[in-house]
Amino acid sequence: MEAVQQQLQSLTWSDAAYLAPEWILVAFTIALAVLDLFLPRQSSRSSIGWLTLGGLAISLGFAIWRLTDVIDKVGKTDANGQPVSHVIRLMGDSYRIDVFSSLLKILFLVATMLIVLMSLGTVRKTDISDRGEFYYLLLPAVVGAMIMASSGDMITLYIGLELLSITTYVLVGIRKHAVQSAEAAFKYVVTGGISSALLLFGMSYLYGITGATNLGAIAQGIQQHASEYPALLYVSFFFILAGLGIKIAAAPFHYWAPDVYQGAPTPVTAFLAVVSKGAAFAIIFRILYNVAFFASSPDYPIADDVFLAVLVIAAAAMLIGSTMALRQVNVKRLMALSGVANAGYLLVPVGLSLKGMHASNVGEFIFYLAAYLLMTIGMLAVLSVINKSVGHDEIGGFAGLYYRAPWTAAAVVVFVLSLAGLPVTGGFFGKLFILLGAAESKLYWIIAIMVVSSVISYYFYFGIIRQMFMRATIDTEVRVPVTTGIVIWLCAVATVVLGIVPGPVLDFVNDHFSIVSDLFVRLQ
Amino acid sequence: MDTSFSQVAWLIPLFPFVAFLLLLAFGRGQRTLGVLLGSISSFAGLVLSILVLIEHMSDGTKYYQYSFKWLDFDGLTMNAGYEVTNLTALMLVVVTLVSFLVNVYSAGYMKGDERISVFYSYVALFSFSMLGLVLADNMLTLYIFWELVGVCSFLLVGFWFSKPEAKAAAKKAFIVTRIGDAGLLLGILLLYWYMPDHALDFVHIGNVFDGQTGIIAASVTTWIAILIFVGAVGKSGQFPLHVWLPDAMEGPTPISALIHAATMVAAGVYLVARTFDIFQASQTAMDVVAYIGGFTAIFAATIGVAQNDIKRILAYSTVSQLGYMMMALGLGSMTGGIFHLFTHAFFKALLFLGAGSVIHAVHTQNIQEMGGLSAKMKITTWTFGIGTLALSGIPPFSGFWSKDMILNTALHEKPVLFAVGVAAAFFTAFYMSRLFFLVFMGKPKGEQHAHESPASMTIPLIILAVLAAASGFIQTPWNNTLGTWLTDGAEKEHGGAGIVMVISAAVGLLGLYLGWLVFVKGTIARDAISSRAPWLVRLLERKYYMDEIYEALLVRPLRGLGYLLNAIDEYIVDGLVQLVSGTAVWFGRGGTRVQNGQIQTYGVVTVLGLIVLLVALVGRRFW
Repeated sequence: MEAVQQQLQSLTWSDAAYLAPEWILVAFTIALAVLDLFLPRQSSRSSIGWLTLGGLAISLGFAIWRLTDVIDKVGKTDANGQPVSHVIRLMGDSYRIDVFSSLLKILFLVATMLIVLMSLGTVRKTDISDRGEFYYLLLPAVVGAMIMASSGDMITLYIGLELLSITTYVLVGIRKHAVQSAEAAFKYVVTGGISSALLLFGMSYLYGITGATNLGAIAQGIQQHASEYPALLYVSFFFILAGLGIKIAAAPFHYWAPDVYQGAPTPVTAFLAVVSKGAAFAIIFRILYNVAFFASSPDYPIADDVFLAVLVIAAAAMLIGSTMALRQVNVKRLMALSGVANAGYLLVPVGLSLKGMHASNVGEFIFYLAAYLLMTIGMLAVLSVINKSVGHDEIGGFAGLYYRAPWTAAAVVVFVLSLAGLPVTGGFFGKLFILLGAAESKLYWIIAIMVVSSVISYYFYFGIIRQMFMRATIDTEVRVPVTTGIVIWLCAVATVVLGIVPGPVLDFVNDHFSIVSDLFVRLQ
Repeated sequence: MDTSFSQVAWLIPLFPFVAFLLLLAFGRGQRTLGVLLGSISSFAGLVLSILVLIEHMSDGTKYYQYSFKWLDFDGLTMNAGYEVTNLTALMLVVVTLVSFLVNVYSAGYMKGDERISVFYSYVALFSFSMLGLVLADNMLTLYIFWELVGVCSFLLVGFWFSKPEAKAAAKKAFIVTRIGDAGLLLGILLLYWYMPDHALDFVHIGNVFDGQTGIIAASVTTWIAILIFVGAVGKSGQFPLHVWLPDAMEGPTPISALIHAATMVAAGVYLVARTFDIFQASQTAMDVVAYIGGFTAIFAATIGVAQNDIKRILAYSTVSQLGYMMMALGLGSMTGGIFHLFTHAFFKALLFLGAGSVIHAVHTQNIQEMGGLSAKMKITTWTFGIGTLALSGIPPFSGFWSKDMILNTALHEKPVLFAVGVAAAFFTAFYMSRLFFLVFMGKPKGEQHAHESPASMTIPLIILAVLAAASGFIQTPWNNTLGTWLTDGAEKEHGGAGIVMVISAAVGLLGLYLGWLVFVKGTIARDAISSRAPWLVRLLERKYYMDEIYEALLVRPLRGLGYLLNAIDEYIVDGLVQLVSGTAVWFGRGGTRVQNGQIQTYGVVTVLGLIVLLVALVGRRFW
């Protein structure tokens, strides 16, 4: 078999400048780890928390700057009138800075900042003894997620994935003295191992068939040789799907999620639900659209089958997630199962593929991810406040919240409406855009499943509203720490804003993003 | 005219919205602020609505529409805006008028309630949403407000949450109407997909479907119409989604009058009227609407005969009257449907508020425990009597004229439905006379110290009684004012059929007379039927066992699925764990506790899932 050759360039200094957002986070991690050693034992670690926040903010600044830079170059031509690519390719296309990756990085950084801010108000020393580690370990985890978003090569992609996974294993188990936390960490490590094994196995076949690790090279190799190895390709793609299915907690690969979400500290739960899930989606998009898309041969419509499998997993996740949540009374487990259903919704634009007129998959995906980010972090921030007040995560903790803390209850209403996909919230338009996309692709069965599963989900989401408005109040004071309050309100207001003027976000993505230049990795 | 009132119609929903915000911010611990803000804001809305209506009744500018670009999606634009047509102008007045009267009434009715300002804030939010729904100029905006009124209804039904029934009713109301809403959303999606340029505003919808140009295939039109109708069925309590409406009576009575009689439940009728061109383009859809409406009318009327809760009787009556409206629409008479909506809003709000006045006095809702209230509650008795006559279709009260118009249309279009309508009218008169005579005549039972309600409650009753008596004259067989105004005279007129008027008045009187014979004079024993056919009474008392049917067909299987999946989680997964750990212990190997078995099973499930996917999707390519 002729291997597709590629040149691996080394990283130059000028290239390194493009990686400023990542470097800054690495530098902050090291500096904060050292600082943590020198700080006196008794001192509160919130200074480290604030520094972590600062590092994330600087990184975010650079990421936004890079995005505007990239966008400026969209559609430019050189002196000869030839179009110039706006994508920055590093190390032979194994690391790419394009609109897709930049947008996702910004979302990951914003999410992590919200999570750190929420922790500053609610994380107690009695609960997490190593608060310094808790804060600065979030940084390498985000770096992992950012690498995943940017990678155009299976090696970088895998490195990012493992960096993210290993740090989150530690974070899940950081409540060392809580049995639940240790159990959750153990389960997460084992599940993560299974996920990595499946993913690596699938990727090894791709390497075997094409002799390349670069996604562009693989795509080229597959276009030439797909008809020779249909069985191997099927196995490869389905194993990759299963491996990543675990990471995004889509059914039937989701069983770990409720246990792990419940055992992890609430901010870490939010991180797993948003950043970890989002990063896995990034590589699903990359691999499927780059590689699987070209794997069909006349006898074996592999691409169709793989995208169909994605939709089947999406349907299973929506139905199983929302029915299993019906009987949950623990809010964290509820959010885990709601996250399963939401993984299903997010998979729909992936699985729609590129059919007919429909090409706004990534726009729909990013919009819903943004809405999901806001409602999930907001909801968990409220939960962490309630947990501080009543000492547990049961749904009963919300009883009579409207009469104890009316404004917080109002924020929860916003989150619940958004989760349930009702107007006037970001969740409504997120789901609506996905539905419209599916309608454009004429995939009516998936629309029906989306609608049915969201009808089922009203039942348990409104359980929370019933608790707040229609239960006698319990006599515990709810004190919302300032930083957590800021997070709650930022999320609630942004959710409503997305629900009133969804246009700008969606337009921004659809105007600047193009599948060919921003998602496809192509050899030049 | 440079500026018209229609141009500032957007202010109408804004008044209650501002009241809502003010109450949210300052309402805590205030007792009179709610009454004040609620009444003032709804009065302001009423005045402006009346001005808009007057403007529309005179010649000249008949129509105003304003919209702005709301969002761009995939190269198409969606607008949001408002539109004032003759139909919306009429609805605006109905909604703001009833809303204003209910606000005033609640000052007396809710006086003792601790959370009165919360109540008023919910009512204000509801008024805002309902008015927004009325003014919406496209399907998407309408849908958003449609959901909002649903949420408000949910909050208000469950307002007295310390009663478990109220909580259950709120949940039921929300879930059941959501089933309808899902249908509506699918209808909108389908419409979106097939409309040229994906336009969703009513003007374009009218143009596309009205022309009969076949831009959209007939089968698709039917589907769109039926899915929209599913939404209307949920909201307007039509069979088979009517089950939530009687339970919703657990909410405070003023709410039953405002939301569950006069305005929100009529939104389904309004929706069908608003998208009437789509329905008219499909005869199948029209027939579905007509027959579902007719069936609901008779079905709910018969249930009403056997109920004992004063509010539930009125609730089934509402379901039945909404059925009449749907039937009228399905028979092609938009005027008939809207006319009945108009008169019904007044007499049914009157009846509910009157019932509230009675409940306020005797502290029970069971009509078997009431009696002889006419001596103590003069105003309530007289106004309730007028409402009863209007609902029973006795000339010259308003209900007679609107019902007559519907029956007349039915006679010309579908005689079967005429028969159904006449039968339902008979039952209506009978249960209303039963209700009236048991409550107000005879000997006092139970509460002996009943007294008339305060003026804040009786004045709205009197105003509504006047409207219930007189509002029917805007449209009579000799005078097609409303019809010409609403439809620009485009609708087919059926002319006055004297026979219909005679029949309809006769069955109304017959029903009332029969009620009088049974419940006052005692010529016919009360158990005349129950002793001969106890099963029939039982069937009606249990509302044809609809709740039980739903429980068996929908709730249990769904809950069962949840149980099943959890059972898999708990028993199979757990069982495997125990098997694994048990086996391990049996082998005498330690450390099974650390090696938590569950995770192994999770792994097994993952791999099984993968294999199932592979076999199901890939297997077919190789075998």
